[in-house]
Amino acid sequence: MTIMTNLDEVKATLIDVLSLGDAGQRLNADSPLLGSLPELDSMAVVSLIGALEERFGIAVDDDDISASTFETLGSLADFVAAKRAA
Amino acid sequence: MEPFFLGSGADQRFCLFHRPAGRCRGAVLYVPPFAEELNRTRRMAALGARRLAAHGYGVLQIDLYGTGDSAGDFGAARWDLWKQDLDTGAAWLRARIDAPLTLWGLRLGALLALDYARTATYPLAPLLLWQPVAGGSTHLTQFLRLRTAHAMLGEDAAAQNSTKALRAALDAGQTLDIAGYDLDPELARAIDALPAPDALVPPVPAHWFEVLGAPGQAPGPAAARLKAAWEARGTPLHVHTVTGSPFWATTAVSTCPLLLDATVDALEERAHAV
Repeated sequence: MTIMTNLDEVKATLIDVLSLGDAGQRLNADSPLLGSLPELDSMAVVSLIGALEERFGIAVDDDDISASTFETLGSLADFVAAKRAA
Repeated sequence: MEPFFLGSGADQRFCLFHRPAGRCRGAVLYVPPFAEELNRTRRMAALGARRLAAHGYGVLQIDLYGTGDSAGDFGAARWDLWKQDLDTGAAWLRARIDAPLTLWGLRLGALLALDYARTATYPLAPLLLWQPVAGGSTHLTQFLRLRTAHAMLGEDAAAQNSTKALRAALDAGQTLDIAGYDLDPELARAIDALPAPDALVPPVPAHWFEVLGAPGQAPGPAAARLKAAWEARGTPLHVHTVTGSPFWATTAVSTCPLLLDATVDALEERAHAV
């Protein structure tokens, strides 16, 4: 069993919730999310936050939810990493 | 599959009974998820019911008050009414199938099943918990976000822009429109006040099923924590993980076939243990 990095796990969660499939595998830390992925509308953002909360056992506050958090896969992964370390 | 109504008029509840194939092994009462997740998971619930029926279980799906095809508006739904509905469904099953009852809950339905199980006055079989939510309060916040996310992404500047503000409105007695659902403060309060799953120890063991996106992923921390908490109180929790799609969260309808297999396998192990 390969140990997944934080980036890998966040990416996997994103791919699952948005059903991105193979196209999702091509995403990397610099890939823009909000505004670039048509699947990522406000409803999908809510599902994604919920999935991240449950997957990683973190709690996302209102203040955490800004467009910049979802700017790229990297910014999202950094956000999750910080929460996991808290 | 037999559709029917329990009760009548303003009190009716829509039910679906999946008749067991072959020798009847027991009865299952489905406890559905909340709001949008109920819609997203209809297909998977139907597949689950059919699979359990094929495996010899009589499965009852009851639309809880204010949801589905049952009487009542969503705004009139209440947690205690929902527990009464489960009681009604359970009694219907008990009158027809003489066996301990399996409560099968999905997402918030898993917590509702656990909360209900504590007060059941008849024998229960081990519970089946599909992807339980982390807690009532967390789930309520996730639901409220359906409204704040629009504001966050600039789609509705008039919306209150924080879950804190929405909670304050609920506390002040205001019913809120969340993505088309009229959320009544009483229902919100009941969900918010649910004890943590650690404290919702059932009188019988339970099976926790978690869906992971890839074989390399570790399960979330909640299952292990709950297992330790319950086992300290003498109640076994069996944790099963399967790979598949998070069908309660995907924007397009999806299913998780391996979850069906794992559920039946868990029942099978139990049968062998007897």
